[in-house]
Amino acid sequence: MKILGISAHYHDSAAALIVDGVPVAAVQQERLSRHKHDAGFPLEAIEWCLEHAGLATADLDAVVFYERSMLKLERILTCSLRAFPRSWRSFPHAIRNSLGEKAWVRGIIASYLGVPRRRILFTGHHASHAAAAFLTAPTRRAAILTADGVGEWATLTVGRAERGAGGATSIVLDREIRFPHSLGMLYSTFTAYLGFHVNDGEYKVMGLAAYGRPTLCDAVRKVIHRTSDGGFALVPEYFEYHTGASRSFSDAFVDLFGPARHPYDPIDLETDDGRRFADCAASVQRVLEDTLLDIARDLRRQTGLGDLCFGGGVALNGVANARLLAESGFERLFVPPAPGDAGCAIGAALYADRIYFKNRDRDVPDHPFTGPSVDADELARVARDDGQQVEALDDDVLLDRVAGDLAAGRVVGWMDGASEFGPRALGHRSILAAPHAAAMRDRLNRDIKSREEFRPFAPVVRAEDAERYFELPPGGLRLARFMSGVFPVRPEWRARLAAVTHVDGSARVQALEAPMAPRLHALLGAYGERTGVPVLLNTSFNVAGEPIVNRAVEGYSTFRRCGIDALVAGPTLVTKRAGTPPRSMREVYA
Amino acid sequence: MATAARTARMDRVLRPVHHWVWRDGGRRVRKLLAFAEVETDGGRDILRAAEVTPDPLLRRLYLAHAIDELHHGVLFRERGAELLRVSGNGAASLFNGNPLPGGHGLDDVSIQGEADVRLLAFLHVAEKAAAGRFAIYRDLVADDPATLAIFDEILRDEVFHMNYTYTQLARISPRTYRRQVWLARASRLWKRVIRLAAALGAVMGAAGLTVLYFVLLPPFAWVAKRASKREGAGWAPISARTESPPTSQY
Repeated sequence: MKILGISAHYHDSAAALIVDGVPVAAVQQERLSRHKHDAGFPLEAIEWCLEHAGLATADLDAVVFYERSMLKLERILTCSLRAFPRSWRSFPHAIRNSLGEKAWVRGIIASYLGVPRRRILFTGHHASHAAAAFLTAPTRRAAILTADGVGEWATLTVGRAERGAGGATSIVLDREIRFPHSLGMLYSTFTAYLGFHVNDGEYKVMGLAAYGRPTLCDAVRKVIHRTSDGGFALVPEYFEYHTGASRSFSDAFVDLFGPARHPYDPIDLETDDGRRFADCAASVQRVLEDTLLDIARDLRRQTGLGDLCFGGGVALNGVANARLLAESGFERLFVPPAPGDAGCAIGAALYADRIYFKNRDRDVPDHPFTGPSVDADELARVARDDGQQVEALDDDVLLDRVAGDLAAGRVVGWMDGASEFGPRALGHRSILAAPHAAAMRDRLNRDIKSREEFRPFAPVVRAEDAERYFELPPGGLRLARFMSGVFPVRPEWRARLAAVTHVDGSARVQALEAPMAPRLHALLGAYGERTGVPVLLNTSFNVAGEPIVNRAVEGYSTFRRCGIDALVAGPTLVTKRAGTPPRSMREVYA
Repeated sequence: MATAARTARMDRVLRPVHHWVWRDGGRRVRKLLAFAEVETDGGRDILRAAEVTPDPLLRRLYLAHAIDELHHGVLFRERGAELLRVSGNGAASLFNGNPLPGGHGLDDVSIQGEADVRLLAFLHVAEKAAAGRFAIYRDLVADDPATLAIFDEILRDEVFHMNYTYTQLARISPRTYRRQVWLARASRLWKRVIRLAAALGAVMGAAGLTVLYFVLLPPFAWVAKRASKREGAGWAPISARTESPPTSQY
């Protein structure tokens, strides 16, 4: 069967194609449209998936949308009604917003793709998250936990899933926490309060948390209560996201935590306000972790299962994931490479295949490289046109050269094969650098990524070397496969891994097995031979505010306008010349 | 060929309005930060143009242009943030903690699939208009040397942009480049009309929905509020029996 999964209309639209039960293509719309977090209908992503598989829309057996759009509309209307008359300002906006494309998904898909309406199916939002987490994980039986801002009504669900002996699959979600009570919205509210963009800046809150102390946990627990049945409830007086469209926190929230940070104010940790913001971040992070942990422990007790599959946007929180693994009682924790809404495209398609059509279970590839491949010839052509030094090298020579460049403190843009699905660069669209000196972190933040100085960078290490440098608990290697956990750097290595060691001594490490990205694995080996430490700094190949690069030409344009020294795509190595072509229009005409 | 920034007649007529905007500190900050977003978005769009054009020279020029625009975004953002700090104007009073209005800098032009000739004409007209308007703004911030210096620098760049787009347009379309510029002007005007119509429609729609909200919704709101009181917090069971069929959007 050929099934197309689609997620769209809120953030991070994506398309995924599965053929005979196996994902063969998946890509986020933003990688093709070049608009970060593109929420539009993912037509380009769909076209790419179909073209990649050599299919036409007429060949599709089903198109599956990742949530039930009318149920979502019902929630939006109900919340407006419940907030009457306070919702009078947000009501017209909510109605216009929902009654555009969002409510009429079946018609939109039918008209864009020309598929019969009976072939258009829907799954629940959290069922899609659950399927993305479970059906891509190498486990037969697992407890399920999903948590995000909100789907239709659910914001957090628990259940269990199993691959039966005869190939039948079951995914049963049996309990949920409903909107407006939401761990994702709690975190997002603090994200907005701390002056970051919602659905984008949550990473920054997690990074900032390490600089603070959780001294405001009692205040955070005033806005989120634990319920007697082991769940939780947000206290509505402190929030406005369910009643208004202009901001997510209320005046009572500001009274409790102090004035919000302006997005354009730098965070200066030497000031009282800077420390307060860091403490806020640390406190909400701690409360989030504690709440998740209690729920997971309870789930472990109830199911008696050893494995937990965790999906939804909250599963991007690597610090919380590491605590879940270490303290919840589960032996293994599986977080997919795209646990957020983009991953629901794969989840919805797999859910339809296994549950709706009852197809036999199939093992799916255990890697995220399902996107468009990089074209080394395109890079060579574009770079030559621009007067850069271009070489085509054998792999051994190239890896040796790149390892030498990295050891000499140069920064390398690394493009290899198919692009990653999900928000993390896992070795196919990465910026690589030496991990040893804090100056490298500062240089990357300032000259290349243009982002806040408090934000950490992640290391990549060969899986076989990981435990030498990082304190991984049992099951930690698996969590580190897709950079889903934050673990301590061993104290004796922190000074030599200063660029990737966060202020609290931790790192969001990627433990790389050779079959997943053999060239990067070999590069780590070559770098280790030169420096004695087979660890590299690995950050996504983009600059602030832009999606990760996809095609070679996008990598090239990023390389040209920031401080990256060399660029690799397949066998092609481009080295930025001294006195490189002019960077601004006035220099062109000078 | 255009060589210097000339102010449009409409902008000269609107000069008192511009004066009113720029004389107030809060509005000045808002304007600078909004420019930062627009220039950054515009820079990204031109960057995209550099990535998709098949013409090597244009790729190089677009890239330099994009770098300029992104740099302008940084200049505006830094200056806006600095003025904001100096004024001590809080987040709530200006933006309510929300990001600034975005929108893509190039007037929603679709870069992908746009022919270079149309894009160059569009860029030329847009840069010319921006240069004219920035010339007015520069005069209005004469009391603020740091902001004045930014406008000076950006104006110099805009003149380069105006000129290269025109030169390249003449190069790649020697027979029709003048017509392309007029078409770009007409298209820009038409888009303004459409935008105005859309804005009017949005206002009217919002007014209509607000009337509906207060006239029709109260009884439903009363029912919804009563129903919400019966809902307990914490866990809610999910019943397999209530699961919708795969074809249902509900």
